[in-house]
Amino acid sequence: MLTPDNTATGSGTGKNGHGATIVLDDVVKQYPGQQAPAVDHLSMEIPAGEIVVLVGPSGCGKTTSMKMINRLIEPTSGRILIDGVDAMTLQPDEHRRHIGYVIQQIGLFPHMTIAENVGLVARMEKWDKSRIRNRVDELLDLVGLAPSEYRSRYPRQLSGGQQQRVGVARALAVDPPVMLMDEPFGATDPITREHLQNEFLRLQRELRKTIVFVTHDFDEALKMGDRIAVLRERSSIVQYDTPEAILANPADEYVESFIGRGGQLKRLALLPISEYPLHDVPSGNGALPTVDVEASLRDALDEMLAAGKQTAVVLENDKPRGSLTLDDVMAAINSHEPSTAKDPSRAGL
Amino acid sequence: MATTDQAARQEPATTGVAGTPPPPKAERRWSFGLLIRPVFLAVVLLLLYWYVHSQTLDSIEKRSLNQHAILTTLAQSIKLSVVGTAITIAIAVPLGLLLTRRGARLITPLALGLGNLGQAIPSIGLLVLIAFWRGNGFATAIFALVAYSVLPVLRNTIVGLEQVDPALIEAGRGMGMSRLAILFRVELPLAVPVILAGIRTALVLTFATSTLATFIGAGGLGNGLVAGIKLDRTDVVLTYGVLAAALALFADWVGGLAENYLRPRGM
Repeated sequence: MLTPDNTATGSGTGKNGHGATIVLDDVVKQYPGQQAPAVDHLSMEIPAGEIVVLVGPSGCGKTTSMKMINRLIEPTSGRILIDGVDAMTLQPDEHRRHIGYVIQQIGLFPHMTIAENVGLVARMEKWDKSRIRNRVDELLDLVGLAPSEYRSRYPRQLSGGQQQRVGVARALAVDPPVMLMDEPFGATDPITREHLQNEFLRLQRELRKTIVFVTHDFDEALKMGDRIAVLRERSSIVQYDTPEAILANPADEYVESFIGRGGQLKRLALLPISEYPLHDVPSGNGALPTVDVEASLRDALDEMLAAGKQTAVVLENDKPRGSLTLDDVMAAINSHEPSTAKDPSRAGL
Repeated sequence: MATTDQAARQEPATTGVAGTPPPPKAERRWSFGLLIRPVFLAVVLLLLYWYVHSQTLDSIEKRSLNQHAILTTLAQSIKLSVVGTAITIAIAVPLGLLLTRRGARLITPLALGLGNLGQAIPSIGLLVLIAFWRGNGFATAIFALVAYSVLPVLRNTIVGLEQVDPALIEAGRGMGMSRLAILFRVELPLAVPVILAGIRTALVLTFATSTLATFIGAGGLGNGLVAGIKLDRTDVVLTYGVLAAALALFADWVGGLAENYLRPRGM
């Protein structure tokens, strides 16, 4: 191969199931004939094994920024390092084979079977046939499609949700350390979308890939992201932080407008009950609402409101483990008030 | 981590499939409908044979209506048409392919314009014009037939390649396929049905037009037609006219078969 040392896989980190660190260093994309650059001196570090969501309005350059990582769009200047290797020194096609790519339109090849679609990158990488077959079956299992049933079907014989599962499987074919996802679940109906999101998060807990996820839906960003980069025009980063921190402390009005109404409720949805101390289960709790320990404070609040009570019983494996009160929920919001508030007027919130 | 706990909470009961999968569609390629055309043609030709056989032929008619004359001109017609179509494909498909590459967009209208010109000129006029330049004979006839039938193949190749969903090309590039690999593994296979439709049109055009080759001494079933008209022999005209029509219809049927069988699976 033409790559200098074949380190596009991040020196084999992909084999351990871990992602690679991506560093964008002063990256600029200037299209000829346009006054303002599409991406203006973007620098950011995407930690290995995390999902980083680029969120912003259409045309803010988030997709352009993402596509420069696999060089579908060539940067005008700046460096892109994947585990320390400058992507610009690699042969582009070879480079892209080691970066999973999932797009909104899915883009399965209609004239190839599911197995052929999933195995395509492995075939380009000259894997032998039995290895490809095993890998395809493994991946189809991973995304919840029975290989024996789906292997030899054609894409048009699958529903949209199933097709995007295949899209994810295809992107994982040669176990790339990095995955780029461009509004991957944007074209599916809300129910399928939620299923796909949850399953992808479940997958990611095992895979620990480095994932750059582009969306214009802030709620999806909150759900999917370990970190969120809120972008505005020319891909300038307004805020780059964890979902909790962004909700607790939006950098400015732009970010606030993105969060929309109900910021505190959205924050509660990110706070797991399991991280808070519980009271004893009150006696005579028959009338109290229940909530699972794996759920969020928002779920607990919802149950309390629905039942008209100020206390909810927390269940673990369907057995009462403790209880949570409305005051606990209020306290949680206030205790998570960050100390790094940039705007002093918010400190007392 | 917040997201993972949240995911656990919202985990659907099934990790299975969302939505019910449509049942696998059987790939239907062969049907008895495909037999209608050849059976019909065989019946027509048998009726023709029976009719001509029942007539008493004079010496002029006998010169055209005998096994040797018919088989020779039939073979000439087939040769003209097959060679003409083959050359048409060999020129038009690669040309269409080149014209859809990046950087060639500017000359596409020019190429299509030339193709249009070839087809817009009445076929007999084109044939005679080219004969002025190249002289009579087989090669000239082929030249004219190709000029006449290049357009449908060229146009369909371009349209076929351009109608390929750009998302597929984007996906292919994102997966690390080279541009050449995308062309041969994605674009061309997906354009095949449209290209074949163009080839089928060209095939019929060529077979029909090949009857005119007689005017520049290239033979073919046109010989019998012209002789029959000039000498006022209805049976000769009828025989050669039906043969020429049957041949074109048969060529169209073969083209249809090709479309049916060469179409990529899964579409």
